[in-house]
Amino acid sequence: MIAALLLLCAAALLTAPHVLVRIERLRRSPRAALFVWQALSSSAVLCLLTAAPIAWLRPRPLPSVPEALVLVVATIASIGVLARLLINGHNVGRRIRAARDEHRQLVDLVGRHEGAHTRVLPSERLSAYCVPGAGSRLVITEAALTALPGDQLAAVVAHEEAHLRERHDLVLEFFTVLHTATPRPLRTDAALREVALLVEVLADRAAREDVGEVALGRAIVSLSEAAARTDLTPGVSAGTGAAATRIRLLVADDPAPWQTLVLYVICAAALVVPPTLVTVVVR
Amino acid sequence: MPTKASLGDLEQAIMDVLWADEAGTGLTVREVSDRLTGRDLAYTTVMTVLSRLEVKGVTTRERDGRAWRYRPASTRESLTAQAMRSPLHDLSSADRQAAILHFLSEASADDLDAVRTAMADVEAKGDRPRRRRGRGAADSTG
Repeated sequence: MIAALLLLCAAALLTAPHVLVRIERLRRSPRAALFVWQALSSSAVLCLLTAAPIAWLRPRPLPSVPEALVLVVATIASIGVLARLLINGHNVGRRIRAARDEHRQLVDLVGRHEGAHTRVLPSERLSAYCVPGAGSRLVITEAALTALPGDQLAAVVAHEEAHLRERHDLVLEFFTVLHTATPRPLRTDAALREVALLVEVLADRAAREDVGEVALGRAIVSLSEAAARTDLTPGVSAGTGAAATRIRLLVADDPAPWQTLVLYVICAAALVVPPTLVTVVVR
Repeated sequence: MPTKASLGDLEQAIMDVLWADEAGTGLTVREVSDRLTGRDLAYTTVMTVLSRLEVKGVTTRERDGRAWRYRPASTRESLTAQAMRSPLHDLSSADRQAAILHFLSEASADDLDAVRTAMADVEAKGDRPRRRRGRGAADSTG
């Protein structure tokens, strides 16, 4: 039963996030690690989506009891996944874009315009962020502009520009959709946090190239101190302890070449193995 | 030819004028026009932008004889405070982190020790020499 095999593959892949969040050394090769995350999740989704069509594709006049069982499970799984993905994809995308639009209008009104897409908010809190998507904005507060020395400011800007340039928001949106589409007992918040952290590390890498480890590290320290002082930011994103982790990763040893290679092999395997298994069984 | 960006600029400049009005009695289109220094704008342009702002809910207006008087619906401070909160208020935390990417989204006082310890290590190691490519040579030597 191929469909049963696909369901097993999907079940195996669903455990992947629980394993991946534990392997901290993956953070040293954030790009490859994100590819692994994406490949494993896409593969799980594909297995689930194709299970029902394949189960129905080879109907026998009278399916045996186990076959009928697989047929039912596969159908429920495929339709369920399809529906949840479509609905959540639509909702998440709509909510995110509406929130960004509203926010962009707000910062355009209250912020000082520095060039086409930079806005300086008259706030006394140290903060910097970007609003990605069409009509992206780089937002920084007046307080951050005055308090941060030039090199730290350059680090912050380089970090945010990297987010915008490399469209990290799309990666996060992909995983947010998958996360919300996954039934609550099966998903783990740690997975989403880890992906968010990897995205930050990726932007840190780009900023590090521009300004160096020290300036970027100091910028993270400055903003951590400011955040700890106000402590207003709701619990979001890469999570507590993320700042220290990011600083440690600035000077962590580069990953061994084989590590990156292994990760890309895993990516390929995740996408190749399930279809291969299916073809082998068909013969 | 107002581009999208310049329209945003104009809205912002007009809000600045309204916020700067100490009297608080509101300004007419003519008064706003006069106070927009350095910009040569048609009366109708200012009027259009003001009514756009009113539709968006960021200004209010009331009749004064034959003219409308425009006032900001809220102070710049409260709008800024709203910007610092929004779009966080009605989104789940998962949505939030994809909507806006913060340089640093959270740190508590407890984190600071770990942060400083990690930074001490970075300071000790210093910048790696192969970095700083892509910046001007004068920059890295200066």
